Amino acid sequence: MRVALFVTCLADLMRPNVAFAALKLLKLAGCTVEVPETQTCCGQPAYNSGDRATALTLARKVIDEFSGYEYVVLPSGSCAGMIRAHYEELCKDDPALLVKAKKLAASTYELTDFLVNVAKLESVPGDFAGSITYHDSCSGLRELGIKQQPRQLLGKMGQVEIKEMSEAETCCGFGGTFSLKFGDISSKLADNKCENACATGADAIVGGDLGCLLNIEGRLRRKGDRKTQVLHVAEVLAGKLD
Amino acid sequence: MEIHSNDFKARAREALADQELQKALKLVQVKFVPNRAAAAAEYGDFEALRDAGRDIRNRALENLDLWLERFEQEATRRGAQVHWAKDAAEANAIIVDIAHKNGVKKVVKSKSMVSEECGLNDALEAAGVTPIETDLGEYILQINDHEPPSHIVAPVIHKTREQITELFHAKHHKPRQTDIGALCREAREILRPHFLSADMGISGANFLVAETGSTVIVTNEGNGRLCTTVPRIHVALTGIEKVVPTLEDLSVLLRLLPRSATGQAITNYVSMNTGVAGSGDSDGPEQFHIVLLDNGRSRVLGSELKEMLRCIRCGACMNHCPVYQAVGGHAYGWVYPGPMGSVLTPSYAGMEHAHELPHTATGCGQCSAVCPVRIPLPELMRKEREMQVDAGLRPWTERLALKLWGWSASQPWLYGLGTAIAARFLKGLGGEEKLIHRLPLAGGWTDGRDFPAPAGKTFRELYRAKKELH
Amino acid sequence: MSSRDLILGRIRASIGRSGPADTSAVAAHLQASPRGPASQGDWRNSHEGVLQRFTERATALSSTVERVASWAEVPAAAAAYLISRQLPTRAVCWPTLADQPWAAAGLAVEARPSRGDDLVGITSTFCAVADTGTLMLLSGADTPAATSLLPETHIAVVPVERVVPLMEDGFALLRSEKGEAPRATNFVSGPSRTADIEQTVTLGAHGPYRVHLILVG
Repeated sequence: MRVALFVTCLADLMRPNVAFAALKLLKLAGCTVEVPETQTCCGQPAYNSGDRATALTLARKVIDEFSGYEYVVLPSGSCAGMIRAHYEELCKDDPALLVKAKKLAASTYELTDFLVNVAKLESVPGDFAGSITYHDSCSGLRELGIKQQPRQLLGKMGQVEIKEMSEAETCCGFGGTFSLKFGDISSKLADNKCENACATGADAIVGGDLGCLLNIEGRLRRKGDRKTQVLHVAEVLAGKLD
Repeated sequence: MEIHSNDFKARAREALADQELQKALKLVQVKFVPNRAAAAAEYGDFEALRDAGRDIRNRALENLDLWLERFEQEATRRGAQVHWAKDAAEANAIIVDIAHKNGVKKVVKSKSMVSEECGLNDALEAAGVTPIETDLGEYILQINDHEPPSHIVAPVIHKTREQITELFHAKHHKPRQTDIGALCREAREILRPHFLSADMGISGANFLVAETGSTVIVTNEGNGRLCTTVPRIHVALTGIEKVVPTLEDLSVLLRLLPRSATGQAITNYVSMNTGVAGSGDSDGPEQFHIVLLDNGRSRVLGSELKEMLRCIRCGACMNHCPVYQAVGGHAYGWVYPGPMGSVLTPSYAGMEHAHELPHTATGCGQCSAVCPVRIPLPELMRKEREMQVDAGLRPWTERLALKLWGWSASQPWLYGLGTAIAARFLKGLGGEEKLIHRLPLAGGWTDGRDFPAPAGKTFRELYRAKKELH
Repeated sequence: MSSRDLILGRIRASIGRSGPADTSAVAAHLQASPRGPASQGDWRNSHEGVLQRFTERATALSSTVERVASWAEVPAAAAAYLISRQLPTRAVCWPTLADQPWAAAGLAVEARPSRGDDLVGITSTFCAVADTGTLMLLSGADTPAATSLLPETHIAVVPVERVVPLMEDGFALLRSEKGEAPRATNFVSGPSRTADIEQTVTLGAHGPYRVHLILVG
């Protein structure tokens, strides 16, 4: 399988290890992975802010860069959701582009969804010893149906115990630019999330979207919790990176 | 109703700091959310029911003019008088005129959000007519110096029992009652004589049935039935979009509405009123006036937001909205709070009065996941943001930032350089503990959270270095 | 231009209608009145199942339900209910129930419209909907709406053959037996209630505090 990895701009800037972990997992699943060099961003921030023109410019770029692959995989439900659930609407006024957008949407997957349902990864190398609680990020959950996939993969790591938090499906308050525009509301929602997560007593909060994870970690640390780890699911599954 | 939606930020901040309110709001999550989930599960294939609800509402909207004409024809045939109001002022004028022509001094009202939208109570009072709210929640608000409701189904969800105990004690001059049942009985005993002596009852209408020319109200308390049964005049005020074609269509929506709203399979009363009292009837109004309000609805019908008109006012979107759960309904500053309000308020009251609202959601999608008629609320809020950008209504700093960022993201080389610098800069700010406590231009983030610092090099740098190594 | 014409004109412009409307789709839908989805369940397979569903649902909504074999037993059942609850034995009833031997059962029942101060109201029902445990009451000269609304206690007599599965079945009976809806069609599902204070359900808001259903047959 020839797979293009869309790193996502947050992983590129904030946590490159997430992308390396995704790369490792895709290779283990038997994929030939390429990382198109000119990739930047899927355009979601502009799209969600109502700047359609900017979003369309970036969507065209993504469609050009990623159309030649069998599959496109992203370690983010939110960015994968942008391509799969929103590019069609964004490109609706350009018939030629729309055809390509639909085709790209059909070949685009969130990482855990791809590993479970397409690549059918059998075993994972992760060796996280301890308990984790999983935060279901909104776009992945409600746009792509990502719920069991990460849990299934984590379950392949023998020693990990998953402790489900209450309201695992409730938003952590990130919401992209919402977290900046309405910082106090965003922090309050992050607080609720942290409380629910910590109530499980898990050693790590794990999720599939860096935005949420930065938000949750930021709130945890501000509240003085230096102990609970906040990890991307790819990092946990991939184990040690070389 | 006066609009304060542009003060959302400040009002939300107050709400977050209000301990009593926070205590009251907990119930949204504790009661409404699980009740709706249980009702949907108990029903069976609730998703198919939602599909049917969406289709029924779409069918009504596709030929809205024809269904309204049919409704008017049937209602008129049965002796009701149908009035058309292009805006709130006209609706108020029509109702005041009915009151004056009939020497009405006192009106009993059952809960109507459209009457809140119109500011009807103020108009009645200014015209010398006393409106008495009879829904328990609305009554509590009215005696509390005309406080506005904070939820479209549960208007006093923001109040604790203790606050209501004190309010009743102060306004009724009776001993303090702390038991909820006793509070309810106290209100019942005060309101019953008003029902029996009022000259006119005003209700809303959850639905209009085109087939029969009927108005339908869905209530639990029985005040809606009293308002439409006892006084000699009944006025139903509702929006033009509320029409549904047939009684079968109504039946489906009546399965969806209460389950989505409160988790009930049916509300205690579903009252369908058709025409005026017959010659031998001992009760029922002699006059039945139906006021159909436009107030922006026909414009929404022709816009990209038209799916919003499917709304059946169950409140599930706000009940499930994490932002509503955190700040309550008053923060939104007008009649309709939560996600549905964030779409409707700019449409009905003017974008310039509510430009904050389309941004007051995280886009988590929980609202559309529970909407009984599958309104894509986050998508409609996003479309409103587009309308704002197109109309030049966003701050220039935001527009510039997006353009700059979009431009640099289209130049991979420049983008790579910019992010490499940013990664180093942010790493530096993070120091040894790798946490940024204060980030320039991102106070919104760092006021309440640290910002975890990046590792110092971007993936594209590291990946390229690795490839060169091999 | 009247507001009516203005609004209808705006609607037509918004839905892109130019020229005369094609009314066939509307007419066809009214003609067919197709039914939508409803709750499924084995209870719909037999009339006893329907009655059981009705009883379960009505009970869950805080009505009390009993079943008697014939109309002759109704007055005594009503009396026994009122006495067991220490409720007044003076009541008003629908004129359609005027001929029942209430007095013989120890009740003082007047067949007249209810005023605000009557404590017990006795009605029958047009039909009942099993799906939700609901009475479907039609207003009329002999079946005033206020009897089931103003008193604190509502007793309703429900002939078992009038219990239908769904609301749509009630509407079908309405069409076939009455031709059109009366002034008020009231669906009643138990005592009135409110949850406005702290979302705590409290019975007896503005209508009855209690509803007792006597199934007959």
